[in-house]
Amino acid sequence: MNSLYTYLFIAALLFSLGIFGVFQRRSLIGMLIAIELMLNAASINFMAFNRFLAPDPIVGQIYTLFIMGIAAAEAAIALSIIVALFRRLRSIDIERAQELRG
Amino acid sequence: MTSSWFQDPTLLAAALAALLPFVTFALIMIFTRPYPKLSAALSIAAVSVSLFCALFLLGSHWHLEKPIQYTAKWMISGDIYIPFGFLLDQLSLLMLTIVAVISFLVQVYSLGYMAGDPGFARYYAFQSLFAWAMMTMTIAPTMLQFYVFWELVGLASYLLIGFYYEKFSASEAGKKAFVMTRFGDIAFFLGLLLVLFNFGNLNILDMNSVDVTARMSPALITLSAILIFGGVAGKSAQFPLLTWLPDAMEGPTPVSALLHSATMVAAGVYMFARIFPFFSNSAAAMTTFLAIGTITMLLASTMAMVTRDIKQVWAYSTISQLGFMVMGLAAGSYFAGIFHLTTHAGFKALLFLCSGVFIHEYETNDFFEMGKYGGRGLKVPMVCITLAAAALSGLPPLSGFFSKEAIMGGLAGLHNPVWLWAGLLGAFLTAYYSFRLIFAILFPQKIEKPHHGEHGGHGHGHDGGHHHAGIYWVMAWPLIILASLTLVLGFFQTPLENFLVGHHGGGEAHGGHHAWLLYVAVGLALSGVGLAWLEFGRKGASQVGFIEKVEPISALFANRWYIDHFYRRFLDYFIYGIVSNLFTRNDRRVIDGGIDGICRATVGSGWALSFLQSGMLQYNLMVMFAVLALVALYFFF
Repeated sequence: MNSLYTYLFIAALLFSLGIFGVFQRRSLIGMLIAIELMLNAASINFMAFNRFLAPDPIVGQIYTLFIMGIAAAEAAIALSIIVALFRRLRSIDIERAQELRG
Repeated sequence: MTSSWFQDPTLLAAALAALLPFVTFALIMIFTRPYPKLSAALSIAAVSVSLFCALFLLGSHWHLEKPIQYTAKWMISGDIYIPFGFLLDQLSLLMLTIVAVISFLVQVYSLGYMAGDPGFARYYAFQSLFAWAMMTMTIAPTMLQFYVFWELVGLASYLLIGFYYEKFSASEAGKKAFVMTRFGDIAFFLGLLLVLFNFGNLNILDMNSVDVTARMSPALITLSAILIFGGVAGKSAQFPLLTWLPDAMEGPTPVSALLHSATMVAAGVYMFARIFPFFSNSAAAMTTFLAIGTITMLLASTMAMVTRDIKQVWAYSTISQLGFMVMGLAAGSYFAGIFHLTTHAGFKALLFLCSGVFIHEYETNDFFEMGKYGGRGLKVPMVCITLAAAALSGLPPLSGFFSKEAIMGGLAGLHNPVWLWAGLLGAFLTAYYSFRLIFAILFPQKIEKPHHGEHGGHGHGHDGGHHHAGIYWVMAWPLIILASLTLVLGFFQTPLENFLVGHHGGGEAHGGHHAWLLYVAVGLALSGVGLAWLEFGRKGASQVGFIEKVEPISALFANRWYIDHFYRRFLDYFIYGIVSNLFTRNDRRVIDGGIDGICRATVGSGWALSFLQSGMLQYNLMVMFAVLALVALYFFF
């Protein structure tokens, strides 16, 4: 039970959920949360590979720390974009933001 | 080489003579343009040094055995380099001296003629530019260097013709001269390339050696000789490129004296003489040149018979005398051509400078008006212009007589007598038109006081120069020097011939066994003068030439045989009407159409593809994901 494949499976599930969320949610906040899920799936993969395959240098853990940092920065930027969009459209619904339609 | 640079007086003198005017040109253009006096002083100082160097070179190499050549590498690229340097032989030394003497005299003369002109400093800068280009061209050791400076001389000519650039006709004339000579130069350059590719070398001494016949086929030599002659035809205003020279008289008169009669236009003939052995390898080419020279000489003489503009007369006579030189050279008498070039440079510069005094004084170019206002009152220029005209007509004992006799002797040596007859006819016409002008000034039918006030009071005597005596004498001294040259130069025929062709190089027919020719030529010249006297000189003469009585012929001559009209027509109908029309169409339809088509295609395809962009962020993301997934699949499996 406590093997690498368990973790990879969980991570794949999480990533698929994230993808699904990004494609399906019409609210920008929902999409942002889904993206966070995908990032976490990637983090789990890094941790799992680090733990089971290459325990000595803790590169995987360092990567995870980086991902967390990047996720925070990304959340800040994305939220500010969302706020700006909200000011303009009075909504955060992705279907309202279609001004670039061809 | 560099160590001996300053120790070898010959090299130093050649370098100084050729380069100082350029330094002056740069100095004047950059620093001293606001100071006309200083600029003129600089320019004259430089040309004096050049003159001194040229005379020194001529003196110290009077008994030159074989040509001295200095070359340095210039523009090296791999194994190929273009040599740059000096070639001093008899011909280039003589020409260098001619150029230096005339440049010096003209620059001194210009002090008077151009006094007070707003472009005074610019004028002297251009004069220096010309002196540099002309001298460096004269002593060029390779045809490439020759060509480069040939073009620079053309540039100086353009700048000086268009010197009064505010005047529309002057700037037009400059353009015409530049473009027209360019036609000849294209041919010249093509000829040079032909020689370069087939002979592998443009060194003048090599081109003149017998190697050429071994390395190039006769047809190729003829072709390249005729192409190179295109340059001569352009620069020396030979048929059919002769109409730029009369228009070039729009420049200041000293410029006409220096460039468009004595030195620059003679550059074409000089080039002919420079590679004379090369040209004489091809008999067919030489006959062509002979024909071109003859046609030019006769055409220009007839044009000179009807014009009323003093500078135009001398311009046409320059063309016809250049035709004479080309005839002399093409007839194979090398020395006769060069000798006529030398004497012509002297007397033609004199003619122009004298005319300049008249023009300066009466502010008109019409010599009938000059006569009316008392032109004969200006004693020094009047005597000088008469002397020079007599030399031009080939009257003994002036310089023109000797050189023209030499050419006639050369023509008499040919099998076909047509050339000699044409030459004699030309001599007759020359005498007629020169003395038509002289008599018109000397014996006007009625003398009036000039009606413009500021020039009052020079009806007779030295009064003409009274109120600005200093300027008058600055202009008169060069005249006197040139006049004495015209008087004595003819007697230097034998020493010059020894210098140029060597003692053994005789065998050329002049005078000697053609004694009858001497009398015929002088007789014809005198009858030309006599005819002019009958029509213009004697008391109660009608002052209407026999040509002017026949309306159609005089119109033909006055319109320069419609050569310009022909060019105009050709330009209008062929170049503008057909060629340029086709190019315009090509531009509109093919090039513009092509670009427009590409634009329209881009816009259209963009519009067609824009339905893909729905504006939905998530569709974009899906496509991105799908593509990435496919890429991943491709790389992993």
